[in-house]
Amino acid sequence: MNHGTQALVEVRDLTLRFGGVTALADVAFDVGDRQICGLVGPNGAGKSSLFNCVNGYYRPSGGSIRVGGVDVLSVPAHRMVRLGIARTFQHPTLQPDRTVLDNVLLGGHSTLSGTVLSAMLALPGERRRERALVTRARELLDSLGLAGVERTSAGDLPYGSQKRVEIARALLSGPRLLLLDEPASGLTHSEVGEVGELISRIRADHGLTVIVVEHHMGLISAVTDHVVALVSGRKVAEGTAQAVQSDPVVVSAYLGAA
Amino acid sequence: MSVVVDEPAVRDGGGTSRRRHGRTLTAVALVLVFAVFPLFMSPFANLQVTLILVYAVAILGLDILVGWTGQVSLGQSAFFGIGAYGVAAGAVHGWPVWAGLLLGTAVAGVVGCLVAIPAARLRGYALGMITLTLPVVAVPLAKRMEAVTGGAQGLNVTIVQAPAWTGLAADQWRYYVVGVGAAIVFALAAALRRGRFGRAFDAVRVNEALATAQGVHVTRYKVLAFTLSAVYGGVAGVLYVVAVQFISPETLILTLSISMLAGLAIGGLRSLLGCVLGAAFYVVVPNLTGSVSAGQSYLLYGVCLLVVMLLMPRGVAPALGHAVRRVANRRERAAASGE
Ligand SMILES: Nc1ncnc2c1ncn2[C@@H]1O[C@H](COP(=O)(O)OP(=O)(O)OP(=O)(O)O)[C@@H](O)[C@H]1O
Ligand SMILES: [Mg+2]
Repeated sequence: MNHGTQALVEVRDLTLRFGGVTALADVAFDVGDRQICGLVGPNGAGKSSLFNCVNGYYRPSGGSIRVGGVDVLSVPAHRMVRLGIARTFQHPTLQPDRTVLDNVLLGGHSTLSGTVLSAMLALPGERRRERALVTRARELLDSLGLAGVERTSAGDLPYGSQKRVEIARALLSGPRLLLLDEPASGLTHSEVGEVGELISRIRADHGLTVIVVEHHMGLISAVTDHVVALVSGRKVAEGTAQAVQSDPVVVSAYLGAA
Repeated sequence: MSVVVDEPAVRDGGGTSRRRHGRTLTAVALVLVFAVFPLFMSPFANLQVTLILVYAVAILGLDILVGWTGQVSLGQSAFFGIGAYGVAAGAVHGWPVWAGLLLGTAVAGVVGCLVAIPAARLRGYALGMITLTLPVVAVPLAKRMEAVTGGAQGLNVTIVQAPAWTGLAADQWRYYVVGVGAAIVFALAAALRRGRFGRAFDAVRVNEALATAQGVHVTRYKVLAFTLSAVYGGVAGVLYVVAVQFISPETLILTLSISMLAGLAIGGLRSLLGCVLGAAFYVVVPNLTGSVSAGQSYLLYGVCLLVVMLLMPRGVAPALGHAVRRVANRRERAAASGE
């Protein structure tokens, strides 16, 4: 299916319920290694819920998720980032009073070691590791076009830049799988195009697998290898962006939602 | 539009080094003033400053929990008491001060950790209610355990006396000892806040899903914050006994916990300066209101608290910082346009 590449992500029969609400019902799909998979569907389709299951924040009621052969449902949520799963949030979730650099550095949390005591005493090893992380964070900020604002408070940045800071933060953990939740929502037309280029470039530079949730069909068509469409928690179509966009069930779901 | 674009450039450009220079100068000046202050001031003034530093340490501990991690606690006075009784009871039994310091802060930390393990799963009011029980239990306990605590009379001790070669009076020596102790624990907290732990605590406060996705075990970090907060409370208690050579159950009452929270709010969250200013408010304002009207002292104190919070809802330190930044920005802009 996925152009013959081996699957990095395998989702099987995934079901998630909140009381009476079924957010996901028997969802199954694969994402090939180093592929970009688009996840589309109207509001409330279950896209963000799916991300929350893949990174362990929600525990599904049934089904399985494997990433790189590891059953992620048996891994505690705070260990996901060490498995190489990183995400951005639909609404920029930054520490508004901290600088952009600090916000990005948070993404390196799982790559650092050291005890409270060594941190309080600012021991040489601690300082060296921190400096190395700052260097990597600056490189990422540079490559994402954020070099000039590293000392600005994150809360003072325009919306589009905040979304980039989220991406930089996710990349600093050194992920294999990047989950992007609506990276282009709320952006201007030209910014949407830039985000598309950015996603392709990130995949190439970091050798990543990406799952991207987006409502901008232009962006989905431009960057994805493969698209999964959800409607009311069910997978209703899968294939190339073009095929999914012209799928009658998807079209009517979007018309119904609009 | 041009204002918006210019702003970060001004903030990040030539002004930074000048501002850093200014900051170093201010720090050196502050240390100098602090160092010579007790040589010229009355024993009463020295004691006041010493107490401000003591409470600043306790409020800093509270800030780690409340300001950094977004939890709440009404238990800080109990940890303050554990530290104080640790060093005072140790001294009564002939222990050296460092042993009492270790014992007091270690017990405070262990109790803090034990309370935190169930409490970390709670938030808001529920957490407040659990921590409320700490001073409620600690005060009668201190009264009952007479053999250790001296009961309701408390413990009088004579510790940390000025060595003869210094030629310093008791109040001056205690001022320096507490000053150095406070400086050390402030520096430790500042280093912690700058690195990965500080960022992780912030993430827990801002959004737990965010923290978890970065690999932060939310419950573990809440317990850690609570433990550190308790240790700082314990250290403050030890410094308190150094300052006043006395501890009694009256000191650990719930009112002290509430006053520390109020001090934190007055000074401003997540600011070392704020902790000192909040402590200064707690120590100095009741004296002032008491001298205005002995009978209405508490009422006036409450009014002062309200007025400050209404004028500076985020606290004094952030308001000061904001004002300083505004003046500096205006000056830099004026300098830039003058070129
Ligand atoms: N924590 C939760 N508790 C209860 N219900 C939830 C929770 N999270 C999601 N849901 C429900 O699950 C369904 C799917 O929501 P989800 O946020 O995953 O949709 P989405 O596809 O991301 O939509 P959008 O495009 O608006 O972001 C919705 O009905 C939502 O109300
Ligand atoms: Mg969503």
